[in-house]
Amino acid sequence: MSKNRQLSVRSAGSKSDGLLTGHDRLQELMMIFPALMLLFLFLMLPFLMSIELSFTNQRLVQGPVATKFIGLRNYVRILSDHDFWQALWNVVRFSLMVIPLQCGFALVMANFLNKLCVMKGFLRSLFFLPFITPMVIVTVIWQTIYQYPNGIMNSILEAVSFGTLGPVEWLGSELWAMPAIVLLSAWQAYGFQMIIYLGGLQNIPNEIYEAADIDGANGWAQFRFITWPSLLNTNVLILIITTIQALKLFTQVNILTKGGPNGTTNTLVHYIYESGFVGQKIGYSAASSLLLFLLILGIFLVQRLSLSRLENN
Amino acid sequence: MIVGQRHKEMIKAGLLILLGLVIVSPLVLMLVSSLKDDMYRIMEDMGSIKAFMVGDPSMNNYREILSSDSVQNFKRFFMNSIIILAGTVTGTVIISSMAGYTLHRGTLKIHKILLPLIISLYIIPMESIMLPLMYQVMKWGISDTYAVQILPFIASPIYIFLFYQFFRQVPVSLSEAAMIEGASFWRIYWNIFFPINRSAVVTVAILQGMDAWNQYLWPLLVTQTERVRPMSVALASFSGTGVIYWDRLMAASVVMLLPVLVFFLFFQKFFIQSVASTAVKG
Repeated sequence: MSKNRQLSVRSAGSKSDGLLTGHDRLQELMMIFPALMLLFLFLMLPFLMSIELSFTNQRLVQGPVATKFIGLRNYVRILSDHDFWQALWNVVRFSLMVIPLQCGFALVMANFLNKLCVMKGFLRSLFFLPFITPMVIVTVIWQTIYQYPNGIMNSILEAVSFGTLGPVEWLGSELWAMPAIVLLSAWQAYGFQMIIYLGGLQNIPNEIYEAADIDGANGWAQFRFITWPSLLNTNVLILIITTIQALKLFTQVNILTKGGPNGTTNTLVHYIYESGFVGQKIGYSAASSLLLFLLILGIFLVQRLSLSRLENN
Repeated sequence: MIVGQRHKEMIKAGLLILLGLVIVSPLVLMLVSSLKDDMYRIMEDMGSIKAFMVGDPSMNNYREILSSDSVQNFKRFFMNSIIILAGTVTGTVIISSMAGYTLHRGTLKIHKILLPLIISLYIIPMESIMLPLMYQVMKWGISDTYAVQILPFIASPIYIFLFYQFFRQVPVSLSEAAMIEGASFWRIYWNIFFPINRSAVVTVAILQGMDAWNQYLWPLLVTQTERVRPMSVALASFSGTGVIYWDRLMAASVVMLLPVLVFFLFFQKFFIQSVASTAVKG
């Protein structure tokens, strides 16, 4: 009914008053124009340009060598660069460690908070605090925690090993630098997954739990057979978001280790940054940027596929 | 039975508070360290329980970083961050909501193509175009300005879509009266749609505000001087390698966190709702 009325008002307006419609059209264009212009200048154009740049030897500041088309040479060089594969392996390694840690902790906390009756709001906010802390500040604080030889992490290590394990140079060790980055990243970001899980948990009807209580199912059985299966959609969503976030790892690494020691914490975004900004090879860095894009696009498509599968089932 | 249940709840809440205190202890560490005047004492205390205690709190570090003759121009960096935040949030709310409204209510045929096109742009992550974009803005001569740190973010596919979806839920009857009176396309937006769109504005403002305040890679690439450099990049450059002035660095970190914290304490519910709404992003 109301839709019909709206339509009739529209058409009546356009017939009796052509000038007004023309005016409306102009307003429509003017209201969408700024967004389109900005999207074109700062998103589409650099994206299209990066395709073109990736086939050239363009440098940030024009040197004595003229810019020329060099075909696939950038791509060949990247794909045969040990540092690139190491950076790719590092983000995979980072994801494999950070996703279970961060999402697992978030899920546990969400379960605790969900069934709580007292101080729920306060505790939720308390556990959410790390997430609102800017990453730069997180790195400053954790740098003191990882300090060699007298940071808190080393004191804890010494205490739990009764002094048998000596101080470790967490951020300077090829073995421990990545796990150290993983821990501080998970600490900063788990609040996000916790909130998403809380939303997912609230969608599970309480009657199911009550019925399980009557049947005498214990807490673990309830989690295993009610909560976990009900969170399937939430899990897929969280997995995808967290993976894409993990692949973009940069800030922590750039501030704390600069990709070191010996490239063990180098990441794809850091590789792009090093070649384009520090090394000033824009063509080369555009090619690696496109490879990052393709990787993220791939994950995005996997998400679409798996979500539509889930909906069909 | 019920009393026992309550008891159990209280114990559980108590344990969670303890765990919560452990979790936020790094933030306490920062706050306590910032009140210690002597950076060598901060370094000495770092590994023990003393890191969380201060007998003689002093505001000297804050006074030092906020005074105008400080070597590290923190006041400037702080103001820069505020300007960038304000510009980004205002710009996004105006430009993305206008676009979302037009895509929903507009009658031009072109919107049918624009909507899927804009949504599909969402899959291009900023990280994968940053270096080409840096090259581009240097050629345009707009690097090292506030504008270059604001403009790339204010027309965001995801927020345009968020506004579009929000406007779709507004009942038609609300705008009917205005249409009968012959109000123009812009008038209906400005007088009817924009004012009732408050919850979408709050969501976008919080998410964009947090992003703008935390922005690191982009300003690192495009700010060559201290003139327009935001807090995040400045703080990072005083951290990392070399001699670290922990006293001032900790105070500066507190100053950078404070506005976010105050905002969070006042608008906790909105913060958490906004973050939860990003789940529908994908």
